[in-house]
This record gives sequence, C-alpha cells and structure tokens, in this order.
Amino acid sequence: MNFDWSAEDAAFRAELKGFLDAELPADFDAFTLDPHDQKAFSKAFGAKLADKGWLVPAWPRAYGGLDQSPWQQLILSEEMVAHGEPRTAQYMCVNWVGPALILAGSDEQKAYHLDRIRRGDVTWCQGFSEPDAGSDLASLRTRAVRDGDDYVINGEKIWTSYADVADFCFLLARTDSDAPRHQGISIFLVPTDAPGLTITEIPSIFSEGAFNQCVFENVRVPASWRLGPENAGWPIIRQLLVNERIGVARFRRAGQTLDRLAQMAVEQDLIDDPLVTDALAKAQAACDAARVLIYRVVDEKAKGSAPDLNAYVYRVATTRAERAVYDACMAVEGAGGLIKGSFGALQFGHALATGIATGTTEMQLNLIARDVVGTARN
Amino acid sequence: MDLAFDDTQAAIKDSCERLFARHAGPARARDLRRDNGCDRALVQALEGDGFADLFGADGAGPLTAALVVEWAGEAAALAPIGNRLLVAPALLAETPPTMVAVADADRLDAVRFAADADLLIVIDGDEVRVAARGDFAAVPVKSKFGYPFAQVSDVRGTPLAPGSGAVARRWRQVAIAAEIAGTARAALDLTTRYLRERLQFGKAIATFQAVQHRIAELHVSVDSAEWAVREAAWHHARADLAAAAALTACEAAQRAFQETHQLTGAMGFTIEYDLHLWTMRLQALRHEGGGPRAHARDLVRARWKENG
Ligand SMILES: Cc1cc2nc3c(=O)[nH]c(=O)nc-3n(C[C@H](O)[C@H](O)[C@H](O)COP(=O)(O)OP(=O)(O)OC[C@H]3O[C@@H](n4cnc5c(N)ncnc54)[C@H](O)[C@@H]3O)c2cc1C
Repeated sequence: MNFDWSAEDAAFRAELKGFLDAELPADFDAFTLDPHDQKAFSKAFGAKLADKGWLVPAWPRAYGGLDQSPWQQLILSEEMVAHGEPRTAQYMCVNWVGPALILAGSDEQKAYHLDRIRRGDVTWCQGFSEPDAGSDLASLRTRAVRDGDDYVINGEKIWTSYADVADFCFLLARTDSDAPRHQGISIFLVPTDAPGLTITEIPSIFSEGAFNQCVFENVRVPASWRLGPENAGWPIIRQLLVNERIGVARFRRAGQTLDRLAQMAVEQDLIDDPLVTDALAKAQAACDAARVLIYRVVDEKAKGSAPDLNAYVYRVATTRAERAVYDACMAVEGAGGLIKGSFGALQFGHALATGIATGTTEMQLNLIARDVVGTARN
Repeated sequence: MDLAFDDTQAAIKDSCERLFARHAGPARARDLRRDNGCDRALVQALEGDGFADLFGADGAGPLTAALVVEWAGEAAALAPIGNRLLVAPALLAETPPTMVAVADADRLDAVRFAADADLLIVIDGDEVRVAARGDFAAVPVKSKFGYPFAQVSDVRGTPLAPGSGAVARRWRQVAIAAEIAGTARAALDLTTRYLRERLQFGKAIATFQAVQHRIAELHVSVDSAEWAVREAAWHHARADLAAAAALTACEAAQRAFQETHQLTGAMGFTIEYDLHLWTMRLQALRHEGGGPRAHARDLVRARWKENG
C-alpha cells in the first residue's frame, strides 16, 4: 500500500496546475457565469486545452487521447475544479459521452462526434430524467418509434442541465414498450436544434439557467443516430454512470471553498471561535475522507476492476463533504452567507444538488446496503 | 499510488489473523475483563513475531504498524497495541517495553492501561515525560467502558526533547483512529450478521429500508475512518492528516455505537451478546486525548494557522 503520487503523475499535476494558474484569474469560478457566457468561455478555453491534449487525455490514442491512467484522470478533474472548472459543461463529454461513443458508437458516429469533443468545440446535455422517471429511471416513457430509416421521438425530459446551451442531447428513449423495462431502452444522439424539440428553462433556486425542460414532438432522427443496438441502451449507461459519479472531484472544489473560507475566518479573527473551529475541522476531515475514498475507486479502476460498491461509498462521502463545507460557510459567514457572491450562497447550491443530481443519496444507500447486508435491491 | 496490501502486509495480515484467533477474540476479552486485566501475553507474542517493531522496520513502516493496530481492534485484542506499535516508537530511540500507557498531564484520572504499564508517556503541551514503572503511581478505577483504567499521580520520569509533545499527539491520533477503525468495523460486521438473522414480521430485519440506510451510512463512516488513518500513517502522521483521521474516526465511533445498538435492540444491552466488547471501547476511544474537540483544534491549527 502506497499513497505517494508517481513522479510521472506529480509532474503531470504540476504542469497542468502551472498552465491553469497562468491562464485563469486566481478566483475564477465558471459557476458564477451565466450559461451562455459559460459556453463561450468553455469553447475558447477548450481549444487551448485541446492544443495541449488535455481535454480528453484519458481517451485511447486511437481516438486522439493520451491514453492517460485513471489516476491522471483524477488529477485532471481535481485541478480543473480547483481552478473553477473552466471546461464547464464540457466535462460531461470528456467523462462519459466520449467514452460511450468509443464503447458503442458506429464508425460514422465516432468520426463525426469524437473529433468535435476532442477539439473542445461542442457541448452535450444528458436527457435521462422525466417527470415520472427520476430515481426510477428505467420507467422512462419518452418513445422512439421506428419509421422506415428514421425514428420518431415523442416525450418529455426534465431537469436537463445545459440543454439551453448544448449542441447535442444524449437521449434515452423507449424503443420497445412490451419488453421488460430495462430491455426496451435505446440511446439517441440528438442535435438540440432538431425540429420538434422545444427547450424551456426551469427557474431554479440553485443558479440561473441550472436546468431545463425538453419536449420532443415528432422529432425525426435517422436510425444511424442511435448509439449501440436497439434496446441495448441500459447496460451502456450503467457502465457510464459510474464514470459520472466519480467524474467531478466535488470534494476538491468544496475543499477549495473551505480553504478560502478559513482564510477569511483567520482575517476576521473568528478562527478560534469554538463553533467555527468545529465546523471548519469537520468539513476538512470530510473532504479528506472523500478524497481518500476516491483514491480507492481510482485504484480499482486502474487495476481493471469495475468499481461499484466503493463508488457509491465515495459518492455518499463526497456529499457529506459538500454539506459539511456549507455548514462551515454558515458558521463563519452567518447571515452574510445569504448574500449573492458569498461562500455560503454558492456552496448552498452545491450542497443541495450533490445529494440529488446523478442519483440521490438514498439510491446510493440502497446500493451500498445491497452489498453490505446482502439485501435485494429495491 | 497503490492501495492494495503489499506482499509483506498480506503475509502479516495472515499471521495476525492466526495470532489473534489464539490470543484475542471475544472469549479472551471476557476473561481479561473479569479482573480488569489486559493482555501482556498478546503483546509479547507480537514482539516475538517481530510485529511490535514494524514502525522502523525495513520493508514495513508506520502504515504496516497501523494496520496491525486496526486488525487488533477488530479482534477485540485488549492491550495497548497502538501505544506500543505507533506512539512509543515515534518518540523513543530504544525499543519500548511491552506495555506502554499514554496520558495527558491535565487528564490523569482515567488512563487506559496505566496500572499494567511498564512505561508511561505523559504529554504536557510541547513536552513529553517518560516514566518507567515505579516512577509513577497508578490506582485502578472502575469503568464499564471496555478497558482497564487507572488514576495516575506522582509522575517523575525524564523529559524528552522539547517539541516531542506535538509528535506524541500526532501519533496518538493515528493510533486512536486505527483502533477505532478496526473496532467499529467489528461492531458493524457483527450487526450486519444480526440483521440478516433476526426475523420480525416474518422477514429478516435487514430487509427494512429504514434499517438498511442506517447501516449503509455507518459503512461509509467506517470506510472513511479506515482509509483516512491509513493515509495519515503512510504520511508519517502529518499533522493535518492525523488530526483529520482522528476526527473522522470519532464520528465513526459515535455513529457505530449509536447505530449498532439501536439496530440490535435489547439483545445489545446484554453482557451475553458480544457487541458491547467493541462498542463500549468506542466510547472510551472517542474521548481519548481530548476527543473530537482537541482533534478539531489541532486540525485547524495545522491546516490554516501554522506558518502565518
Ligand atoms: C441540479 C440538478 C441537475 C440535474 N441535471 C440533470 C441532467 O442534466 N439530466 C438529467 O437527466 N437529470 C438531471 N437531474 C435530475 C436528477 O437525476 C434527478 O433529480 C434524480 O435522479 C432524482 O429524481 P427525482 O428528482 O425525480 O426524485 P425522485 O426519484 O422522485 O425522489 C424523491 C425522493 O424520494 C427518494 N426515493 C425515490 N426512490 C427511492 C427508493 N427506491 N428508495 C428510497 N428513497 C427513494 C429519493 O431519494 C428522493 O429523496 C438534475 C437534478 C438536479 C437537482
């Protein structure tokens, strides 16, 4: 057992950090930009990253990647979030849309999409959730009906982050209503300007433009835009969601906020207040625990086993870290944490979203319990 | 990074399992508790196999020593193994004696293992004083909390180099966290078995989701403590990591106590059922060395107050 970074990994982190420090203002945070500014920024910045090969370094060389290890993938994610996530929504393409295409895409799809993603030229959104299919995603009802060489899609997706700025939607739709529910779902790669697709922002307490509703009315797409075989979408997304769960180094971003917050507590002479000390220390310990638990998942990935239980454990731990950092914000800032631009006001949204988006904490707990006490899944 | 046990660690794990099967476990803990004793023979066995001196050994080191402390806690070993394997070797040039107790100068009323100690390490701010048997008084006190405690007084002994206090505190945090991780793990495992076997309403209580979520949350806490302490030991008890590991372990200890007892119902109240052999100790460990309040203060100091 060894917790040291290899010389190669340390050098990669140093180089990446040097680049990001030089390119970005010290307190840059893409989350504070509105979605359209985010998009413009991420396209410009994505191109710079692409030049370095750092947009998709984990991809195989055959697809324009650098074949980097899961450890370097983690370093990339940590450094990006520590620098305000300048890729904004593009992290999705990198973490799981691209890998899904590599896993299941046709040659034509790969040729068309992978290069765009690699260049940092494109934004995707994830069309999974529906009004009646949240945690129970497999009950989704958006339908894609074969019609000659096309499919015709009808239905409603909801809570879709970045749909208003995305170029493509990674869409789950039902292609067989008679099959058992996990066996009748297919994936479609749908341009967001497809006729019949209406995207409407859903105002949110989190931040402006946080998510959207996507209504599909007779949206016609060629069958060649289906990813993978018909009705075989579920196993593909199951694999990818593991990537998504560990894809964003949330504990690192939260830890960054915590460091700045503690700095403020020192400056305002609050650091020795027992409640402040307690809240800051608990938050730091929670961030450290999440960090070391993601190491365990990455170690498993690096050794070729599919992380499952430990990815859920990490996810719960990182949610605890986000919440503990929010508690620390409120301990230090008090009512000041209500004001726009404060640590508290920003962390509030992260702490709330992390227990819900990409699968709720309760779903993670169900899955952990299934493995730990050997109970059947709900 | 590589988070699997290396060959040495895997071999030591095997040997420890055999050793603890003979020398530790619930039955042995019950025997020792009957007259408020502790297990000198076990530490001697560890010394005999070379496992007491892994801290400075080639091919091993503090992390491997911390793993042994974890496993000992899991096996309900009733001996000051963390003190002997982690705290003493960090402070002393020579090989420590078998039984080592560690105390704070301002908290001498209930010191774990003091009555049986060959050596007492007293932490007093920046300073550390070491007293051999005969150079301190230790009067056993009664406690239900899983360990033999004694009230210490009249400490003479010799001071170590200035600055040793911080070193002692950091390693004690690692030792406490490792012991909690193993102890809480055992309580969790015992409880998951219980949940599968105990039937109510015609089914295993493990099938109730209200129960499942609590055990899953506890699993996250125990994993957090276990991995935090392993990392802290690897980095030689770096001040922030050691304090964070101890704080995380205290959270796990508290949650383990509450949840395993809540989920075991009245059976958990009995002396007959083994759960208390681990859980009562968790309460004691949680308060050792000043408890969460001290760990929190150390963590904040190490991370944000030192060097400006
Ligand atoms: C900020 C944000 C961004 C999002 N972005 C996207 C996106 O880009 N694309 C997308 O497709 N979706 C997105 N989502 C949706 C997200 O995936 C869902 O909100 C999530 O899966 C939960 O579904 P739900 O909101 O319908 O809640 P529900 O499933 O209705 O759950 C409500 C409550 O019931 C609990 N519950 C449900 N089932 C069980 C069970 N079996 N056992 C125990 N408890 C249960 C849940 O844990 C939760 O506490 C986003 C959500 C948020 C908050």
